[in-house]
Amino acid sequence: MDHFFSLSITFFLMIPVGVLIGILFGAIPGMTATMAVAVCLPLTYALNLNQALGLLLGLYVGGISGGLVPAILINIPGTPSSIATTFDGYPMAAKGEAEKALKIGIVSSLFGGLFSAGILLFFAPALADVAIKFSYVEKFLVILFALTVIASLSKSMLMGIFSGVLGVLISLIGAYDINLGGNGEYRLMLPFMEKSLEDGFSLLPVLIGLFGLATILEEAANGVPEEFAGDALGRLHHAKFSLRVFKGQAINLIRSSSIGTFVGLLPGVGGSAASILSYTQGKNFSKEPSKWGTGIPDGVIASEASNNGLTGGALIPLLSLGIPGDSTTAVLIGAFTLQGIQVGPLFIGENPTIWHTMMLALLLANLVMFVVMFFSIKYIAKVITVPKYILDPIIIMMCVVGAYAINYGVMFDVWTLLIFGLFGYLGQKIGIEIAPFIIGFILGKSAEIYFVKSLESFGTLTIFFTKSPIALFLWVLILLSLAFPIYVKVKAAKRNEGRSTGGP
Amino acid sequence: MTRWFSSLLKIHIDFKTSHTLFPTIVICLLVFLLVLIFLVHGIPWLRDLRSGKRRLTLGLAHLDKLRFFGTLVLTVAYFLLMDHVGRFFPNTGLGFLFVSIPFIFVLSLLFAHRIDRRKLVAISLNALIAPGVAWYVLAKLFNISLP
Repeated sequence: MDHFFSLSITFFLMIPVGVLIGILFGAIPGMTATMAVAVCLPLTYALNLNQALGLLLGLYVGGISGGLVPAILINIPGTPSSIATTFDGYPMAAKGEAEKALKIGIVSSLFGGLFSAGILLFFAPALADVAIKFSYVEKFLVILFALTVIASLSKSMLMGIFSGVLGVLISLIGAYDINLGGNGEYRLMLPFMEKSLEDGFSLLPVLIGLFGLATILEEAANGVPEEFAGDALGRLHHAKFSLRVFKGQAINLIRSSSIGTFVGLLPGVGGSAASILSYTQGKNFSKEPSKWGTGIPDGVIASEASNNGLTGGALIPLLSLGIPGDSTTAVLIGAFTLQGIQVGPLFIGENPTIWHTMMLALLLANLVMFVVMFFSIKYIAKVITVPKYILDPIIIMMCVVGAYAINYGVMFDVWTLLIFGLFGYLGQKIGIEIAPFIIGFILGKSAEIYFVKSLESFGTLTIFFTKSPIALFLWVLILLSLAFPIYVKVKAAKRNEGRSTGGP
Repeated sequence: MTRWFSSLLKIHIDFKTSHTLFPTIVICLLVFLLVLIFLVHGIPWLRDLRSGKRRLTLGLAHLDKLRFFGTLVLTVAYFLLMDHVGRFFPNTGLGFLFVSIPFIFVLSLLFAHRIDRRKLVAISLNALIAPGVAWYVLAKLFNISLP
C-alpha cells in the first residue's frame, strides 16, 4: 500500500492526459486506439516507468471508449471495436436519443472495463504461474498456437497463416542474436543491408508505419473525403439519460463483458470481433431479437461492454505469456520494452510493484474515462467535426518523431516507417492480414530460439509431442483452432445448399 | 518401422550453421502456403479474370492518384530534407521544425477540398503552430532527439 503513496503527481496527471488524447483519437473516424498509442510514444521517452504506464493505459482505455461517439452520431465507427455500436446507436440518435445512447455506451464501457480489469487481476498471475513451468518446447508451441488462433479468425485462414509466417520471416532478418544464444551470423541479408539491419527492423517504427502511416496513405488514396458532421451535433439535445435504462440488463452486461474479455485473451484478435460476437450473442439470447437494429439500448450495451471488456482481457496474455492480445497491446509491448520491462511469465512475480501500479492505472483510466466522457460528451463530440486535412499531416509528423527518437536518432528507422507504411497499405490490397503479420513479427525471433534450442538439446522433432502433457494439450488446442473455422465453413456451406435446394 | 520413423525425425544441428535452419524452414513453409493460396484463391480468380467477371484493378480503381502519389512524394521529400537540413543545426531538432512547417502546409493544401480564405488561414496557422508545439514540447522540454 505504501507503494501507492509514493507515486508522483505526474503519474496521476498522465492518466487523464492519456485518456483524453485516447478518447479524441478514438472519436475521430479512421484513427484508432492503436494509432493513439503509436503516435504518442515519443511522449513516453521522457517519462519514467510509472508515468509512462499511466499515459499508455490511459490512451488504450480512452482510445477504445472514444469510438462510440461517431458510431452513434454519424454511423461511422470511430475505431473498429465500436462497429456494432452503430447497429443500434445510430438508429437511437436518428430518433433523437443521441445523448441517451452515448451515455448508455459510456456506462457500459465503464462496466466492461472494470469487469475485465477484475478478471485480469486474478487470471494473469494464475496463468503466469502455469507458464513459468514451460520449457522452450512449450513456449514454442504457445507461439504456434497464438499464430494459428489469430489466423483462424482472419477473413481467409490461408491468408492469415501466410501473413503470420511472413511476419516471422521479416523478424528473422539480421544477425542470429548472440545475446539470445545464437551464433551472430547474418541471414536473409544482402551486403548493403548489413550496416542498417544488423539487429533487423526495429519493432516500433514497423508498428508506427503499419498503424499510423498506412492509415494516412489509405485516406489519401480515398481522396481524404470531407464529411459534414455538423448536423449530428444538433441531435444531442433531446432525450435524457437515466440509469433506469439498465434495469434488466445485468445479464447482457455480464455476458458482453465476458465475451469481450475472452476475445481479448485470444492473441491478436481485436475489438471488432469482440463487438460483433457480443452483439450477435445478445441478439440470439434476446426475447425480442427483431427489435435489435431498430435503436434499442440492448445493442449499444452489448457492443460497448464487450469492447472495453477487451482491454483487460488483451493484457492477460501480454503480461503472463509475453504475447499481445490485440494490435494495441502489440504496440504496448514495444513501449514496455523501451521502459526496460520484459513481459512474460516471470514479469508479475518479479515486479509486483509495477504490476500493482499497472492495475491501479487501468482502474483509474476506466474511472477517468467515465467521468470525462459522461460529463463532457457534448464537447468531446465536437472533435468529429475537425477536418482531416488538418489532422492527417500532424499524424505523419508525430509518426516521424516516434520512429526517429526510438533509438536516439537513427534515420533508417524513419525509412523503416515508410517501408512498412507502404507495405501496410499495399499488403491489405492483396489480402495480407496485418494483425497476424504483427504477431508473427513480434514473436518470430523468440520462436526461432525456442525451436532451434529445443532441437539442439534433444536432437529429435518428436520432443515437440512427447516433452510433457502440456505440450500434447497445446497440440490439441492448435488442431482445434485450425479445425474450428473449417467446420464452421462446411456447416455454412451445407446450410446454404439446403436453402438453395429448398430443403429444411 | 517405429525405429525407422523416429530416426527420420532425428536432427543434428551444427552450431556454425544454426542461423540458417529456422529461416529455411520458414521460407519452405511460405512457398508451400503460396502454392496452396494459388490453388484455393488464385485459380478461381484467374478463371473470373478470363471470363470477364473480374478486372485487374487490385482495388486501385478508385485511387485518388493526385493525393496518394502527392502524399508519397511529399513524405519522401520530407524525410530527405529533414535529415539534410538537420545537419546544419546538429542536436537542436531545428531540421525537423523547419522542414515540418512547409510539409504540413503543402500536405494540408493537397488534402483539402475547395480551399477558401477561412481554410487557408486555418491551414497556415496549423502548419506554424503544430510543429512549433511538437518541437518545443519534445525537443526543448523533454530533450528527445529530433532530426
